[in-house]
Amino acid sequence: MSTSPEKPSSRRSLLTWFSGAALAGSAAISAIANFVFMKPRATYGQPSRYLIGRPDDYPTGTRISVDARRICVVREGQKLAVISTICTHLGCTVGISDTGFACPCHGSRYDQDGNVTGGPAPKSLAWYRVQLAPNGELEVDTNAQVNQGTYYNL
Amino acid sequence: MSTAAPPPTEPAAAARKTGGFLPGVLGLPKTIWDSVFRHSLPDSDLGAAQTSFSNFFLHIHPVKVHKNTLRPMYTLGLGVMSFVTFVVLTVTGILLMFYYVPSTTQAYDRMLDLRGSVAFGTVLRNLHRWSAHAMVAIVALHMARVFLTGSYKRPREFNWIVGCVLFLLTLFASFTGYLLPWDQLAFWAITVGTAIAGYAPLIGAKIQFLLLGDQAVGQEALLRFYVLHVVVLPAIITLMVAIHFWRIRKDGGLSRSPEADAVSPAGNLKVQLVNEAGAGKPTFGLMGFVRGPFTKVGNVPDNAVYSWPNLLVAELFVFVITIAALLVVSLLFNAPLEEPVNALHPPNPAKAPWYFLGLQELVSYSAFWGGVGVPGIEVLLLMLVPYIDRKVSGVGKWFARERFLANTLFLTFAFLNVVFIIIGTFFRGPNWALVSPF
Repeated sequence: MSTSPEKPSSRRSLLTWFSGAALAGSAAISAIANFVFMKPRATYGQPSRYLIGRPDDYPTGTRISVDARRICVVREGQKLAVISTICTHLGCTVGISDTGFACPCHGSRYDQDGNVTGGPAPKSLAWYRVQLAPNGELEVDTNAQVNQGTYYNL
Repeated sequence: MSTAAPPPTEPAAAARKTGGFLPGVLGLPKTIWDSVFRHSLPDSDLGAAQTSFSNFFLHIHPVKVHKNTLRPMYTLGLGVMSFVTFVVLTVTGILLMFYYVPSTTQAYDRMLDLRGSVAFGTVLRNLHRWSAHAMVAIVALHMARVFLTGSYKRPREFNWIVGCVLFLLTLFASFTGYLLPWDQLAFWAITVGTAIAGYAPLIGAKIQFLLLGDQAVGQEALLRFYVLHVVVLPAIITLMVAIHFWRIRKDGGLSRSPEADAVSPAGNLKVQLVNEAGAGKPTFGLMGFVRGPFTKVGNVPDNAVYSWPNLLVAELFVFVITIAALLVVSLLFNAPLEEPVNALHPPNPAKAPWYFLGLQELVSYSAFWGGVGVPGIEVLLLMLVPYIDRKVSGVGKWFARERFLANTLFLTFAFLNVVFIIIGTFFRGPNWALVSPF
């Protein structure tokens, strides 16, 4: 039986196919590598856990906006909570209003607990975990969100 | 080709023949000049053709263009105008780079220095800012022209897509440039803009993080936007513009109606071959070969004129008018510079640049639909339109009756966008509440 004339050409096409796949694969890996490169492994921004001072700095019955941290510290009696003032719509800093919070950018409004009462905001403001650090200061962890209405008992 | 070219004179060659050293040295400037500029200013048709053909910068033009291309009321010069604004932006941008530092602690001071201590600093920054705004507007108008004359149809479908990509790149280049002054306007517009990107499904948050290089707008974001703005985007835009121009020629020049190609019966035009070499055996060269409606063989008469000087003068005219307008605006109006960034207090209301205010208005109803859904659908529809609307009738005429539906849809979208931009610009006050501008 003689060698079929298709044999060499099919081997060639297989090699061509492999080469093409190898080139395309390399290109894809390079592209992915670029995205990996672009994604920073360490960021230089603010730490997610920080101290905000002693409980005495926040007298009972007050709602104090800590602008630098973009949080609002709420104290009622011996209970204390930290609510984010980052608007859930597009990241502007909300201000404290008579009825709760109001966003200057697109008019989102929230009540005292951060529930949406108007405007385009899709969800309520985040509540962060807060507790006393060993040195007697309050420590906020913005990576740890707690359920709305979860107060820390001093 | 009615007139024969005069026999070419080559003084350098003549000098070599005479063999004189002195004539050779004396002829050196002319020799160098001739080696750079192969043709003197043309005084014949052949010269006009050869001038376009042998000059790198003119070679982007065809030797001849259709008369329809030169009708000001057809193109309104918007394509050339877009390109001129891009050139102005490139030149002023490179100059501004000499004095700018992409650092959160220095950027704003450098803006003040441009005003206070850099020669021509104010007018350069004004030119750059107003040209950027002009480019967005002109590219959008250019797109409208192409749509309303049905010019995206076969065989120009792909060039329409290149144009759509260029429009998006223009917006993105403008958006990245917006952050660089590092003033309140910049900071909050980018905070809002990147948050909109975060609403894209699945990959939104990742895109936002990649763009900012951090969780919030800060030094990383400034550096990233700077690199995108001065290197990445201009390089991509330049490449796409080259493809855009090249495609025009491959698609047979600018669009025109079939009537524009109608000519008197062929047959009574004599073609005279011109012997280019001068003496001896006649030699002829095939100068170029273009497929499609521009291919002309022998005795087909056409409605074309030589690019030199007709097209070049038209382009020069648009160039001068555009630059003059930009200069006048830049001398009369200063580019805005607000307070330095204060990440704690957004201005109220915090408004995006005007061309995004339509989107911001939509975003104030629904972040997803305003920021991702509606613009996504609009871009997709725009890109696909040559493949959806495939009838070839009505090409090359403004508001052709055959294209009533397509044009009406396009104008409706455009009109709604303009209405939203006007509402966002003039009718929105503190807390994005409706206010009256009057």
